[in-house]
Amino acid sequence: MSVQEKLRSKPQWGSGFGQFACWVAAAVVSAVCLSIIGYLVFQGWHSLSWKFFTTDPSESMREGAGGGVRVPIVGTALLIVLAVLVMFPIAVGAATYLSEYMDESSWFTRVVRTGLEVLASVPSVVFGMFGLALFSMPIFTFLSSSGAEGASQAFGRSFLVAAIVMGVHVLPFVIKVSEESIRAVPVSYRRGAHALGITKWRSIRKVVLPAAAPGIVTAVILGMGLIAGDTAIVWLLLGGTTTMGASNWWAPSQFLQVLRGTGATLTTYIFFNSPAGDGNSPQLAYAAALVLVVLVLALNVIASIVGRRRKRQGS
Amino acid sequence: MSDTFASDSAESLGILETLVRPAVSRAGEREAESTSAPMVTVNGLGVAYGSKTALEGVSMLIPERRITAFIGPSGCGKSTALRCFNRMNDGISGFRISGGTVLLDGQDVYARGVNVTALRRAVGMVFQQPNPFPMSIYDNIALAVREHERGISRSTLDGIVEQALRQANLWDEVRDCLTQSALSLSGGQQQRLCIARALAVRPTVLMLDEPCASLDPISTGRIEELLLELSADYTIVIVTHNLAQAQRISDKVGFFLMGRLVEFGDALQVFEASARPETAEYVRGAFG
Repeated sequence: MSVQEKLRSKPQWGSGFGQFACWVAAAVVSAVCLSIIGYLVFQGWHSLSWKFFTTDPSESMREGAGGGVRVPIVGTALLIVLAVLVMFPIAVGAATYLSEYMDESSWFTRVVRTGLEVLASVPSVVFGMFGLALFSMPIFTFLSSSGAEGASQAFGRSFLVAAIVMGVHVLPFVIKVSEESIRAVPVSYRRGAHALGITKWRSIRKVVLPAAAPGIVTAVILGMGLIAGDTAIVWLLLGGTTTMGASNWWAPSQFLQVLRGTGATLTTYIFFNSPAGDGNSPQLAYAAALVLVVLVLALNVIASIVGRRRKRQGS
Repeated sequence: MSDTFASDSAESLGILETLVRPAVSRAGEREAESTSAPMVTVNGLGVAYGSKTALEGVSMLIPERRITAFIGPSGCGKSTALRCFNRMNDGISGFRISGGTVLLDGQDVYARGVNVTALRRAVGMVFQQPNPFPMSIYDNIALAVREHERGISRSTLDGIVEQALRQANLWDEVRDCLTQSALSLSGGQQQRLCIARALAVRPTVLMLDEPCASLDPISTGRIEELLLELSADYTIVIVTHNLAQAQRISDKVGFFLMGRLVEFGDALQVFEASARPETAEYVRGAFG
């Protein structure tokens, strides 16, 4: 074919169709997302009120008497903070080790990487079961309280226990994203620091980690979203209730009791009030679901803002 | 970037004068002075990465407070030799010294128990691509100083930062924006910042691995001018692909070919009356 003929020839059959098919797929995804949010808004909007946010839940079986989400919101926030405190140092330390110190050819590396993959694939309900079995042992009484059977077993359910197990559950994800951020720091920064006579550890502490910080923060914020949305671990390890175990929980002197006591989060509140739970207030469940979705969405938006700041810094 | 270019252009006429100054007069100026003692002595140095030989039988005396240039085609071992002086090769997997020694002021740098971080303070390095840290201009220079002198006072640190920037001919351009990110500087300014950063820890030797490879001619000229000034106080070793640059600024030249040091001598002699035929062919541009 001459050049002119080639230019005038028709494009291959199917390229237009392929584009259309991709568009349809994207449209389906968008439709599903918008439907879920739309349905939540439709069902739950009218239950949102100042009273909803400032009263505690009630465990009444009367229809629509599920009470407000004050305790669940506090519970979700408390759980997120505690779990991040548990998970953050371990995640950053492990990610730094994997990126900066690990010898990729050693057997130890293979053990660690396989271990992380296995940990990442364990379902959260299995984590919950394991946590219950582990923290019911008498030596862990300090983390929850004595069980109903006396001193032979710990209760094994509390904010502290749930936070520890939740922290471990999101570790693989946070480690993976943090490790990628640390690896993404240009090698030239490390070389520049070494050439100035700065030791490897100090180079990591003063140059590499600060440069990777936005990416690590993004990883933690996304982890917070995962923590906020988990149900199985919380239902099993926070006592399956919608109220705070400790009395007068708002008093600062009671803080330790609150940590060692049972409680509720948005997810357990939703489960409790849904048709599957013991409660009878599905409308309140939808309202709480809307609050939860907005919370997780806000966390994701913050994460992407922080992530974009990293891109600007790196150029 | 454009601001600096405008100011660079205004000075370009002066710099071009430096660029076209014939090599003869430069080498001639130095000849009158007495030959200086060797700062770095290399004896039969051999380097291998795994099973691959990178350097073999390299011997040379790098004089104090002069500019020594390593020239040669790509992959011939110039940068490997440079990195042996500050042991930056240590981090490369498979690296080993297969023979010979490198003496810095009489001390074997590969001896057991050598303080490598102190060595890297004494032998500074500037890389081909400017690599300032993603921090302010001030912090770029202050970081290493703070690491080596814990508890240093702010005023002393300010003085060191200013002196380093003055030595690198960068002070006047950045004195009012020290807190600005170093990444906002032009390429030439970033490279001068990297030089200032290396000078701030008070090295004896300054090594530059193709420092002007990514810079425009004006910035290149400014850095060459800077190196000529610095050579009064520092021993300078520069790896360069730019033969004209080597002729412009160096006192001694080492020609590397396939892992061997083919010839090492005064710049004038290497370029105009090479002892080896390979050297003569390379400097006239027959290959490389």
